Amino acid sequence: MNARSISLRLVVWYAGLLAGIFVLLCASLYLDLRRFLVNDLRESQARRAREIANTLLVHVRQTGESYVAGQTENWYDPEINDRFIRITRADGTVIYTSGAPKDGSFNPAEVPALPPSSKTEYSQQFKLSGHKTLLIAALNFKSQGNPTYLVEFGALLDPVKTMLNHLFLQLTLGLPLAVFVITAGGYLLVRRALKPVEQITRAAERITQHNLSERLPVSHTGDELERLSVSLNRMIARLEDAFQNSKRFVADASHELRTPLTILRGELEDLAEDTRLDPAVRERVTSLLEEAMHLSKIVEQLSMLSRLDAGEAQTDWSRFDLAELARTTAEQMSLLAEDKGISISCNAHRPLSVEGDRVRLKQVIVNLLDNAIKYTPQNGAIQLRVSANNGHAVLDVEDNGIGIPREALPHVFERFYRVDQSRSVDSEGAGLGLSIVKSICTAHGAEVETESAVGRGSRFRIRLPLAKN
Amino acid sequence: MRILLVEDEKKVADIVERGLKAERFAVDVWHDGRSGWEAAAAYDYDLIILDLMLPGLSGTEVLERVRRKNQRVPILILTARDGMDDKVKNFEAGADDYLTKPFAFAELLVRIKALLRRGPVNRSSVLRVGDLEIDRLSQNVRRAGKKIELTAKEYALLEYLATQPGRVFSRTMIIEHVWDQSFQGLTNIVDVYVRHLRAKVDDPWPVKLLCTVRGVGYCLSDEEAV
Repeated sequence: MNARSISLRLVVWYAGLLAGIFVLLCASLYLDLRRFLVNDLRESQARRAREIANTLLVHVRQTGESYVAGQTENWYDPEINDRFIRITRADGTVIYTSGAPKDGSFNPAEVPALPPSSKTEYSQQFKLSGHKTLLIAALNFKSQGNPTYLVEFGALLDPVKTMLNHLFLQLTLGLPLAVFVITAGGYLLVRRALKPVEQITRAAERITQHNLSERLPVSHTGDELERLSVSLNRMIARLEDAFQNSKRFVADASHELRTPLTILRGELEDLAEDTRLDPAVRERVTSLLEEAMHLSKIVEQLSMLSRLDAGEAQTDWSRFDLAELARTTAEQMSLLAEDKGISISCNAHRPLSVEGDRVRLKQVIVNLLDNAIKYTPQNGAIQLRVSANNGHAVLDVEDNGIGIPREALPHVFERFYRVDQSRSVDSEGAGLGLSIVKSICTAHGAEVETESAVGRGSRFRIRLPLAKN
Repeated sequence: MRILLVEDEKKVADIVERGLKAERFAVDVWHDGRSGWEAAAAYDYDLIILDLMLPGLSGTEVLERVRRKNQRVPILILTARDGMDDKVKNFEAGADDYLTKPFAFAELLVRIKALLRRGPVNRSSVLRVGDLEIDRLSQNVRRAGKKIELTAKEYALLEYLATQPGRVFSRTMIIEHVWDQSFQGLTNIVDVYVRHLRAKVDDPWPVKLLCTVRGVGYCLSDEEAV
């Protein structure tokens, strides 16, 4: 899955936020509850310690210490209630200490003497054997004429701890599970909501300048996605219009130029052959005629491009051997190359059956070779290779010429594009040869790739689907 | 020989008319389809040159009407449209040849002469230009009795030029006849072959037969170059 997809990012954010909120909520719940329970236990012990002090110890002079001890035992019954009670006089004499609880949950003998404190009320926790914790609320009781007594009232913290541990366990197990369930559910929901986006994306991928009449699917849900696909469709319609207009313009312009060019050429030809004219004038007329012919050539190529755009290459479809076509074309072009001292080597031995317009595909080879010859200096070498690869016929035209700068590479197939002035060594060309190559290839479902390094040469590669049996 | 020219572009019509008259043809010119059709119906022409985009009646309609009445007369279509569909449609309707604007007048003339099967279109098995001899059966080329070795393409080029000595052939015509459509626009290939041909056929002799007509094309002639 794409790590940057909206659905994934949405779900990650959503799950992250949710998990964060859950953790905070559970932590505060746990901590609050723990504080509340411990405080509550401490407070109830302290209350009892105060009861002992305020009801019994306050009269200790009249009743005597043993009465206090006896009444404490009677009232609170610490052995049955699992409580710890100890009353100590300031001189360290213990006047009462509770016995071991009946359930044996702790041993009071293990509880050490509380360190003295100046505070009236305070509390202390003791670790006892068997991982027990005893919470003791202590009260320093002073009354006039009486010695100071320390009243300790304690209870085990363990039931609270057990409960809190249980809660903690439930939360730590339940939390990831809840987050997982919510995330999975959220992911499915987001996926469902974004499904039309996938469809729109796939449909949009299929639309190129050659099938601009296609439209994206519109789901009539009335939501943002419907509006999006409707807007995109309107945009495609405008694009289609613009493309149509520009194609029509090229077709119309090249058509409209034909008649005036015919007149121009006809008149100039007539003049150029008129022996009555001064030779200097005829020379100039001839130069004009050459320009008129150059113009005718551009018009011819433009009109060919418009015909290719209109799908003309599909009219003369046949099956033939691409290797043979490459060999004969290289042979026919070799003299043109030799004239510049360039060698063409052709490596196309295995027959490769392809389907297409033979004349047009031959033109592709002619244009590529012509281009290579133009931009390869004297004594250079051009290689033409035809091979099969992965269900495709691959045709390479490689030269060791001047090469194409990296920044110009993406533009070499554009109409009228020239790399720079120094490359326009050929005044005849109009910068349409490679556009024609591209158009023909596109009409044949073939891909064109270019690789080049300045000063080392260029390679043009055509990948054409092989004919199916 | 009487030729009917139906072309609504007056200047184009003018150039073609002048050229044809210089070649001693009788030429009738009409600028709209209806007059053209009426003229074609009234007279017995040896050849009709028809533009496709005509006011009144379209060229295709004129073509169909003429063909219904007269199966024989050769018809050459002259048009600014060069779509394959158009070509096929008009050939089916009975056109004999098809020339796309802009064209070289020399090319129009060669096609007219081919359609009329007359004049210096030489169909004999041995072509002679000055002391150059081309045997079309054995494909042997001799000059002043001396055999010249040529490659297949060089031979094809020479033979094509020799079919009408003195006539100028445009590079486009040469490409169409000696090479094929795929080489359209690659006119420098013709120059290279002519140069090679010259080295073999002309250079060893004082009289040069291959002439260059700058801006137009090439010709083979034993007269002084035009």
